[in-house]
Amino acid sequence: MIGMLPTLAETSHTSLPRKPALFALVVIFGALSITTALAQQHISRRYPVRNNVRVELKNISGTITVESWNRDEVKLSATMESPAANVSPRQTGDGLIVDVMADNRGRSDIGDVNFKLQVPVNSSVDLETKRGQITVNNIRGGLVRAHVSSEGDIELNGISASQVFAQNLIGNIFFDGEFSRGGTYQFQSGKGEITIRIPSDSAFSLVAATPTRKIALGPFWNDGFKSLGDGRKYVGDVGDGRSSVMVTTFQGSITFIRK
Amino acid sequence: MNCEKCQDLISDYLDGSISQQDRATLSSHLEECLHCAEVRDDLQSIVGFCCTQRGQYVAPPNEKALWLRIRNMIEAGANVDAPAPAATRRSFLRNWTARSWELSFPQLAAMVAAIVLIVSLTTAVGLRRWQSGDVNPQAGLPDSGLSVGAIDVRKRVSQQQQLISYWNQRVEYNKARWNPQMRETFDRNLAVIDQAVNDSFDSLSKNPHDEVSQEMLNTALNEKLSLLKEFAEL
Repeated sequence: MIGMLPTLAETSHTSLPRKPALFALVVIFGALSITTALAQQHISRRYPVRNNVRVELKNISGTITVESWNRDEVKLSATMESPAANVSPRQTGDGLIVDVMADNRGRSDIGDVNFKLQVPVNSSVDLETKRGQITVNNIRGGLVRAHVSSEGDIELNGISASQVFAQNLIGNIFFDGEFSRGGTYQFQSGKGEITIRIPSDSAFSLVAATPTRKIALGPFWNDGFKSLGDGRKYVGDVGDGRSSVMVTTFQGSITFIRK
Repeated sequence: MNCEKCQDLISDYLDGSISQQDRATLSSHLEECLHCAEVRDDLQSIVGFCCTQRGQYVAPPNEKALWLRIRNMIEAGANVDAPAPAATRRSFLRNWTARSWELSFPQLAAMVAAIVLIVSLTTAVGLRRWQSGDVNPQAGLPDSGLSVGAIDVRKRVSQQQQLISYWNQRVEYNKARWNPQMRETFDRNLAVIDQAVNDSFDSLSKNPHDEVSQEMLNTALNEKLSLLKEFAEL
């Protein structure tokens, strides 16, 4: 039996033919990566707009990142996984519309399309995707709407808009910003943590509900809050309740943090 | 000469007030047409009787009834000359009511089967409307709010389930076109919503008046509907 086992020399000898195979694999993998990179399409366009422009973006799958800048123009950059994907932004009287769904109707799978938008700081943004993360930074316009039909985190940083709607099914929602007087703010998730970070002097009327009973109002808690359904829902005012805030998650927590 | 023309002229023929040519033509028709000849004979006997009696005829036993019958017959004759559609309708109704409805066994069986089918369909449609609360299903579309208030949850759930079933069929139809990643995403998300729906139902089975669970159920069903609609268009 011992005589039948391969010696060290024999073992190293038998591993030699594997090296070219490994090398071939690396070459193939590299070639595939290059092909993939070449297959990806990238577009970048600029649109002169007024500073309170409305930007609507409807994506199917992929990330959306929106940032503000001090220019009266929109810069749209998109990276398309599939060369078959078509993105045809339309400039209208009061804004810019990008509808990936409509632009690719009738086509089969077009893969991910990842967007980056740079917009004037006072813009309104209405963003939708079936799947993928949405990030919006430093927008001070009238509306910020981020809707992920299925899964994807939503991150809203430095937002000061009179209407904010953030909704997803699986994924966390993070809001960092201010609540304007008379504004409306809705945050809804199916399975995810919702975190709201606002200044300590914020004033709002709150309805927060989650069956998990994980509602942490932190410094915004006061005795005026009414607990319903054995701690699954809280209703009450903070300050003069000048804006309306509604937060719901089916499986997750709701947390308020002071800035 | 035809019979109609002949009978129009018979009275004048008996009075001797028609032209020679018409008389010749009428005579030749009467020789050939037995029916018109009988009409002529009847009319001739009536005229002869009237001429011989000169108003001294014996009155029938019930003269009033006789005149009533005559009047009815005249009126009936006048109605025959009325406009065609009315006459058609009357004759159809008269025929229909006067018809003897003697049906064969297969005809009778078919009639019974038709009646049963109509009654069943009417009952099914009625029940369906009753179960759905006789409300337009489009009115139950999500309003993205949490307030359910006094809305009857069962009714709303029933409406939502019907819509969900419809959109689910559309999703299943299109699903084959999606890439595997998208299919997995959809299934995973649907499972999350179904979990929320089931949890709400569980809570409601323990406490049917739990408003928070009602709201959660409502929101979850709306979410499910939205998800199905969103993915049905892919």
